[in-house]
Amino acid sequence: MSEKPKIAVYTCYCGGNISHTVKCEQVAKLLAEQPDVVVSRTNMSLCSDAGQSQIEEDIRELGVNRVVIGACAPSLHEQTFRKTVIRAGLNPYLYHHIGLREQDSWVHTCDADGATCKAVRLMAAGVAKARLLDPLEPIQLEAEKRALVIGGGVAGLRAALDIADQGLKVVLVEKTPFLGGRMAQLDTVFPTGEEAHILLADLIDKVVNHDKITIFTQTEVTKVSGYVGNYGIQLTQHSRGVSAENAKALQDACQQMVADEFNYGLTERKVIYQPYHGCYPPLPAVDWEHYNGEPININGKSEILKDEIQQFELSAGAVVVATGFDPYVPREGEYGYSELPQVVTLPQLIRHMALNPGAKSLEWQGHKVRDIVLIHCVGSREIEGIDEPQEDGQVNNYCSRVCCTATLHMIEELRENFPKLNIYDLYQDIRTYGRGHEDYYINALDNGTRFVRYHGEEKPKVFAAPKGDTHPVLVHVTDALTYNQELEIPVDLVVLATGMQPRQIDDLVKMLKVSRGNDRFLLEVHPKLRPVETAVNGVILAGTAQGPMNIQESISAASAAAAKVISLLGSGQVELQPFVAAVDPEKCNGTGACVEACEYEDAIALETFVEDGKEVTRAVVTPANCTGCGACVAVCPNRAIDVQGWTLAQYEAMVDAIAMDIVDLVEAG
Amino acid sequence: MMAAEKPELSRGELLKKLRAEHAQTVERTQELLKDQKRIQRDICSFIRETPKSVPEIAKEIGLPANQVLWYIASFRKYGIVVEDGMCEDYPLYRKAEEN
Amino acid sequence: MNNVKVDALVIGGGIAGMQAALDLGDQGYQVALVEKEPSIGGKMITLSKVFPTLDCCSCITTPKMSAVAHHPNIQMFTYCEVESVDQQENGFDVSVLQKPRYVNADTCTGCRLCEYACPITVPSSFDRGLGSYRTARVPFSTAVPQIAVLDIENCILCGKCEKVCPVGAIDFTQQPETFSIDTTSIVLATGFELTDLDAKNEYGAGELPNVIDPLMMERFLAPTGPYGRVLRPGDGMEPMTIAYVQCAGSRDETLGIEYCSRTCCMYAIKQSMLISGALPLAEVTIYYMDIRTFGKGYEQFYQNAKAMGVEFVRGKVAKITEDENHNPVVRVERTEEGDVVERTFDLVVLSLGMVAGDPLSKFGLTPAEDGYIKIPSVNASPCETRRPGIFVTGTAGGPMDIVDSIVTASAAASAASAYIRSKTQVGIEEREVAHV
Repeated sequence: MSEKPKIAVYTCYCGGNISHTVKCEQVAKLLAEQPDVVVSRTNMSLCSDAGQSQIEEDIRELGVNRVVIGACAPSLHEQTFRKTVIRAGLNPYLYHHIGLREQDSWVHTCDADGATCKAVRLMAAGVAKARLLDPLEPIQLEAEKRALVIGGGVAGLRAALDIADQGLKVVLVEKTPFLGGRMAQLDTVFPTGEEAHILLADLIDKVVNHDKITIFTQTEVTKVSGYVGNYGIQLTQHSRGVSAENAKALQDACQQMVADEFNYGLTERKVIYQPYHGCYPPLPAVDWEHYNGEPININGKSEILKDEIQQFELSAGAVVVATGFDPYVPREGEYGYSELPQVVTLPQLIRHMALNPGAKSLEWQGHKVRDIVLIHCVGSREIEGIDEPQEDGQVNNYCSRVCCTATLHMIEELRENFPKLNIYDLYQDIRTYGRGHEDYYINALDNGTRFVRYHGEEKPKVFAAPKGDTHPVLVHVTDALTYNQELEIPVDLVVLATGMQPRQIDDLVKMLKVSRGNDRFLLEVHPKLRPVETAVNGVILAGTAQGPMNIQESISAASAAAAKVISLLGSGQVELQPFVAAVDPEKCNGTGACVEACEYEDAIALETFVEDGKEVTRAVVTPANCTGCGACVAVCPNRAIDVQGWTLAQYEAMVDAIAMDIVDLVEAG
Repeated sequence: MMAAEKPELSRGELLKKLRAEHAQTVERTQELLKDQKRIQRDICSFIRETPKSVPEIAKEIGLPANQVLWYIASFRKYGIVVEDGMCEDYPLYRKAEEN
Repeated sequence: MNNVKVDALVIGGGIAGMQAALDLGDQGYQVALVEKEPSIGGKMITLSKVFPTLDCCSCITTPKMSAVAHHPNIQMFTYCEVESVDQQENGFDVSVLQKPRYVNADTCTGCRLCEYACPITVPSSFDRGLGSYRTARVPFSTAVPQIAVLDIENCILCGKCEKVCPVGAIDFTQQPETFSIDTTSIVLATGFELTDLDAKNEYGAGELPNVIDPLMMERFLAPTGPYGRVLRPGDGMEPMTIAYVQCAGSRDETLGIEYCSRTCCMYAIKQSMLISGALPLAEVTIYYMDIRTFGKGYEQFYQNAKAMGVEFVRGKVAKITEDENHNPVVRVERTEEGDVVERTFDLVVLSLGMVAGDPLSKFGLTPAEDGYIKIPSVNASPCETRRPGIFVTGTAGGPMDIVDSIVTASAAASAASAYIRSKTQVGIEEREVAHV
């Protein structure tokens, strides 16, 4: 380091988040006395334009060459201030950020003096580190201008299309043999009443005919390596099992029947199947999971179908996760589900209606339905201690967002098709929040639907009616709308408005190293600052993999994901943080301890050079593959390796500063 | 309001035109300023020595309490008064020290 | 003023407009952002903390404002209004009026000496009239750009500002100027307005000093608020009992607003939690018909508020009057108890709804029945209006919260960029993409 450090220190009030607990003025005053500090300021909101301008001005006017900021967590605004520093002409890594909000004021709200003391220590440590900072350059890498989109539902299709429309290549992979996802299982969609199939067919058509998009069905991601700009992806694809030539004959000859998951088990299908007419690809596929391996006879020849699994590799600059949701499946006995034949889920009723178009009356298992009850919040808004936990021990305490409108949309269809039906709607809160959604509620109130409000603590109960009763099922519920009157409703059919659940994608989550939230859906970095990005750079979320959404919201989220992919890869280059291991060639004598300690592929290796006619062996780091974890630093017997920007010397200086004696100072101030 | 008129007029003429166009505004605002000055004087003299609450000030100077609060908020913002203690649920305000 | 040529024109500098502009700029398109107020930031910059993370609002908004101001691909035009939009062969010719600031924007440094010298104090729209600023002022402390504006309608032309300005930026000779923006696409981010506080006679018709709107409460809770603490505006008392009346401007046939405004449940719950922080002894009661905490993490937020002691009472507020001390008296039909009760509070917040902001006629668009921009195919292209090339984002397309506004803003940017590419054939390969 050549120039003498001139350090500027900023203590941010964070609009009160910090200053309500930490005495910021006092912190600033004490920091001003630290060596090499030329200016120490406070600011109501340092991230504002005025705050940033102050920093720029100090760099330009006072010749500041090191910046230390105590504010919110670095995950929020470290990048913001790096850009500020760059604008003023300073190397962005000559700035150090301290999370005074998350690490101090928010966790010590009841101890102002203690929090102030801690702030001084943390900030002093920052100053001590700043004194030893060196300018660094981000690692520039070529980016693969291709995105991998995982999931062929509406979100994945939309994301693929939007990315491709900007001229980037897209590989779209779908686990099942057909595109369309959950949306294909809907009949009409709210709030427009359009047919889901038509909307979907239009979207699929655009995707399929796009010259930048390659589609793989029956394909899963089985390996992920690399990093943003250069992910290495291994795909594993099952074979279709049939060809255009033999598909019809095979399907006709196939005898093995299984439950049809497309109709949520209401019907059966063959193991060589197409879920619905007009699906894409228009070629049937073999359901390998259920195929019993028995030969199928066509043209007097018996044929055993074989799944030929293929694996191939591709590289992608970014990955869009659009793996969608699963509808909640009630436990056995939950509201009588799977015990009483007259209890179905809303998705099942939607399929039942779609399978029986134009029916004169609603029939269930051969019986006419006169009275029907729909129960909201099944598998959603569960309460710990009251509701039975899911398999993983957690309750689904979130709202699934779409079920209220979906239920009332169903009620409107039922009312239109079967005017004489008695409809009961058992709810907690009606959440028809979206544009045009409230109309379904208003219509239902007008068209004779009987609403009953139950409390989450006291769920409705579903029983088989005694033999000889007029109706097969009885529903008991306490109605908060009629001053907690106990009701017994005899019905022919119970419909459970089941919520959305995160998909079982544990393997993918592990491969991509993304995190899940408390609700087990995939987690974004920040709902407002980076709402579709994950903490893993280059892995972007689209649609219900992130949380419950309706179709419109999924499409918006997918388009937003596309916008991020384009910003990321459009230039063909990505930047990585320079916080990676660096070897001091003077000290390294090639013990190889670092190579053994390293857990990352191709991050560090021993290489042999010829220098002054002598062979020397030294560790060499491949910065793009290094995560800066520091495992190598800890094991090097010669202290020949350091993580740039976080060196041992810097740590030692920070520890010394944190341990300094300041208690008296704070109390005196 | 047309930009086309602009190049023809000198600075003096433009100012004159502005004064003419805004004569009514200026007159109304001057009235407002007179009121504001009087109210500021009244409030400040009442809270020069002892801090008072908004209802106390309102009673003393005969202005609705919500209007008094608006003035107090404004004076606080521009450093004319400061908050100084509480009386039950009401913060008290006092004239700021002159610099 | 020179004419401007861009790929995308974003109208409205609130959170949705800023996000759309940033996303388009990040994708390498040239963007113009037009804002009618003297600063960008929209409604969001006036808020205190935002749900569900309770981040301070400035911490989210001001960096985005700053990013817009410094973005190499974004030109920002504040205090400007769109006058007309003409369809051209490959885009739109938009005529924009630059309102006079009476301050030279190029030389003003935002030092605020003019503001301190100005003798006239006027109600601040930033504080919804409950705080104040001067006739010459920087609109608020975190305004972008940090340039003063002189409100000529409340000016005595005394020239004090002119005398103190160290750079001679005050210019009483400024005239309105019209310039045109030639753009391939338009993104409408014109936002919302609150329903009127005085709309309902049953709720006091705006005459009760201690019945306020939720954006006023946001200002009281914000660190830069008009009182520096939470006080009721009627007489400066610290309120100890506070009621929220949900659906006070939504789901109400008599107001002609039958839709749900979608944000009110969450902002009421959030404000209740913030009030509990600011006034630990205060009791907050929320009168509601349905609690609609549907977003990610929102239901847990609601449960947390219940656990913190916020009282939720299901019932329809029939009437609000006041007693002799201007304490609001709430008459409510409680549906669970089946009775009608009257209760006196120190302060009542009407959870008002959202209505569409700017009129649409100049964009050649007609509103839907609910007053918001008609979106012909929400389940296929949720950001596309009836006119090709004009996109909509944020609350211009219906009530929504900040999280949803931001996502739709990115979605609108995506839709607009696909349109620009289809019109100009300019692809990613040929464009200079900003490094961000």
